[in-house]
Amino acid sequence: MSGAITWLGEWLFWPPFFQLVIAPGLVAALVIVIFILWFERKAAARVQMRVGPYNVSPRLGGALQLIADLVRYSFQEFIMPFTVDRAAFVAAPLLLLLASMLPMAVIPVSPVLPYSYAWPNIMKYNLLLALALATLSPIFTVVAGWASNNKFSLIGAARESFMVTAYELIFVLALLSTAAPVHSYDLVKIVEAQSTWKLMALLNPPAFLAAFIATLLSTSGFPFEIPESEHEVVAGPFTEYSGLMYGVEMGAAYIKRYAMSVLMALAFFSGWKPLDPQPGAGVWSGYVAPLVVVLVKATIIMAVMSFLRAVYGRYRLDQALHLAWKILLPLALLGYAIGLVYGYLGVL
Amino acid sequence: MPAVPSRKRVPSYGFLSSIKGNLEALTIGLKYFLNPNRSTLHYPREYIKLRPGYRGYIVLNKAKCIMCESCARICPASAMKMVRFQAPDPKRPGKMKLYKYPVINYQRCIFCGLCVDVCPTEALRHVPAHDVVYMNLAEMELDLEAFQQEPKSPAEEEGGIPVRYIFDSEKGLVKVRASEGGGGQ
Repeated sequence: MSGAITWLGEWLFWPPFFQLVIAPGLVAALVIVIFILWFERKAAARVQMRVGPYNVSPRLGGALQLIADLVRYSFQEFIMPFTVDRAAFVAAPLLLLLASMLPMAVIPVSPVLPYSYAWPNIMKYNLLLALALATLSPIFTVVAGWASNNKFSLIGAARESFMVTAYELIFVLALLSTAAPVHSYDLVKIVEAQSTWKLMALLNPPAFLAAFIATLLSTSGFPFEIPESEHEVVAGPFTEYSGLMYGVEMGAAYIKRYAMSVLMALAFFSGWKPLDPQPGAGVWSGYVAPLVVVLVKATIIMAVMSFLRAVYGRYRLDQALHLAWKILLPLALLGYAIGLVYGYLGVL
Repeated sequence: MPAVPSRKRVPSYGFLSSIKGNLEALTIGLKYFLNPNRSTLHYPREYIKLRPGYRGYIVLNKAKCIMCESCARICPASAMKMVRFQAPDPKRPGKMKLYKYPVINYQRCIFCGLCVDVCPTEALRHVPAHDVVYMNLAEMELDLEAFQQEPKSPAEEEGGIPVRYIFDSEKGLVKVRASEGGGGQ
């Protein structure tokens, strides 16, 4: 019996599993996404002179409304139309969720691991890997739109593929501009080079702005909710989906936003930095406390993104592409140039 | 000479002015986020305290009615009808008299208030209530007894808080408790 518990514990806290499934992976992501969805609705309600979710749990400010919605989605019927490509139709949302989650596998949340395993810190290229994995998911949105065999889905998928060309390069360039000053693709070194107030976001604001807006573009957050724009194409690529699958697809965008926010919290906001775990620290001070600091920073970044929903209307596709190619790409290049200058002068 | 349609130019904004516009929008959003002015009416827990002159539900005072039929004649929606019945005449014992009284059908009533205006003896009056619930359509056709009873707002009966909306010079439409002034009357 005790052997089984030990075996289970070893599996549970085996870093690849723990990172991807528990924290900062799926479980933590779900908790934070539910909080962010609640915050988004309440913030939009405050700005628009409404109350937002309230009646389900008046004392908690309607926080349980999101749980209620989740339960409702899980028990709704999943309707499969006759005309869809069945395998791709079912696989697309699940793969989308998985691909949105994948960057979590390589993102370090602590400089030291209190385990005998040296994973994922041994990866010297974890920033590059995280960026590469973060750029996987849009293809499954396009697959979902194609498999649905529906005009609205196709239009949404085409819009998504337009958007991919707009944001991917900007996000990668903006994140890489944080690697140049420290001469390393290792996120641990990038975080260690910053201090509590010497943040990469303050040293290199163009790159941070470009990364921030590229995240909004890639996760269809306002003002760039273009592929799923409800007033034009019913739900874009997700029109034919219902029940839990629809919830998964909607959640996948938020989970991708969460993964990108964690990446930005590390690269631009000095990650776990008020804390400074030394090698040999225990599980709590060496892993859990830095993890919590990183998650709080990522949540604040996500909350700011959610707040924008209340302020902005939606851009047209051409306006978003104009913004991306004519303003953000030069901005990202400028950020990269600043990063190169810092790297050449050895500021950090 | 054919009419030449005038072309409107789409206003284009420069780089700096669009940055300024974005910052202004964010500032306004942040202002409302930090200091929200919520005007939602939590209906069963709150209700709007209506003013006495409100053209709400109509009630008959049978003692004042002189059976002139003016209300039934003027009703533009034919909601008001007269009911007729024979009853003993109090002035002439042993004789019967034809009585006519108005009844109202709230399926048809448009709450224009013409019947109240035209009534020569003020037998009809408005009640400041508009949120009365009927279980079916047949209940909305009131009989003589029901027409004399004053309808109650369910929110008021269940102890909701009376509120009023007033205009504030800075915040615009603001919800206040009716007991706290509430903008006169």
